[in-house]
Amino acid sequence: MNKSSTLQNSLMLAPLIGATDSWMTALGLWLMFIVVISAYGVGMTTLRPRLVPSARLFAGILLAATLTSCAEIAAQLWSLKWHQQVGIYAGLIALQCVVLDHTGFFQSALRDRLRLCGLFGALMVGLGLLRELIGNGGLHLATLVPGGFILLGLLIAAWQAWSRPNPSH
Amino acid sequence: MSRASSVVIVVLLAGLGIGATYLVQQSSAPRIASEQRLLDSRNLLDLLPADSYDNQPLEQPLRLDDAVLTNSTLQSAYLATKAGQPSVVLLRSQVLGYAGSIDVLIAIGANGTLVGVKTLRQSETPGLGARIADWPNAWLNAFAGKSRSEPADNGWALKKDQGQFDQIAGATITSRAVINAIHDALRYFDEHRQQLVGNSPHE
Repeated sequence: MNKSSTLQNSLMLAPLIGATDSWMTALGLWLMFIVVISAYGVGMTTLRPRLVPSARLFAGILLAATLTSCAEIAAQLWSLKWHQQVGIYAGLIALQCVVLDHTGFFQSALRDRLRLCGLFGALMVGLGLLRELIGNGGLHLATLVPGGFILLGLLIAAWQAWSRPNPSH
Repeated sequence: MSRASSVVIVVLLAGLGIGATYLVQQSSAPRIASEQRLLDSRNLLDLLPADSYDNQPLEQPLRLDDAVLTNSTLQSAYLATKAGQPSVVLLRSQVLGYAGSIDVLIAIGANGTLVGVKTLRQSETPGLGARIADWPNAWLNAFAGKSRSEPADNGWALKKDQGQFDQIAGATITSRAVINAIHDALRYFDEHRQQLVGNSPHE
């Protein structure tokens, strides 16, 4: 894992913990992420060849801010209640656009891009479902932010233990 | 591609971005604001069962005469109706607590029984009296179904004061203030029933 993908992944950690207290909010945020990222990708692909390298970052920031703001207002129109739950995480999508652009996400193969988006979505919705189930099952902690962190940590530990070859063999 | 054309594109993009965001924001602001009002009133009115009213109670204020009561002051009153019939009267009451005034919303059914009580504003001691603001609130829930005559006047007090209600642990003054405010409101409703809900169907 190189440095830029660390930045990219740690940016995804914020919505992954903050917006997964129910699977509906998680799914909504992921859909918003996909819409904004796609529009940003199309926009930047058109603009990039027409810009000198030093202007690309500015253009990217402007485009990401515009798209995210419009998407946020649209989300408010659609459901104000939902937006109040995920508002700050929806705003982070702009930053994710710029960072993804910076790490060369939009130049990578379509399959890799789909894989990353799909993985992000599956993680968001999966974690949302799991937290909601555990929360409804009586462990209220799971729906709070610290509970989300602990759950994600346990999941990662389980994944590591399962996928890593047993040292005694 | 040249430096100049890049600058032009970035400036254009900035203008477009600001313009588009401004337009979208302007065109959707009224709808978002009305949605926000609806959400606010629903939050405020969640002490009422959702099927007990079908109007916008906050847009139907009632006139209050002699709103200064024995222990508390009524600030405003609203009428919730269902199918045109008065169902619940909401009284916003202010009473002096331990650390300052406490605002409570008291919902009284058209038949005179208490539907619910909710704390709107308080500055009581955190961890003690401030628990009056918890929602849902088991202590405040215990008053639902009571009325001016059930219990009788001397029952409307803390057990410590020979009444019949428990207090919030460690918050005698807060509890006493809220009980008095509820009792005042029920008494006011009883004395002004005609003016608040017209003729009750139970009479």
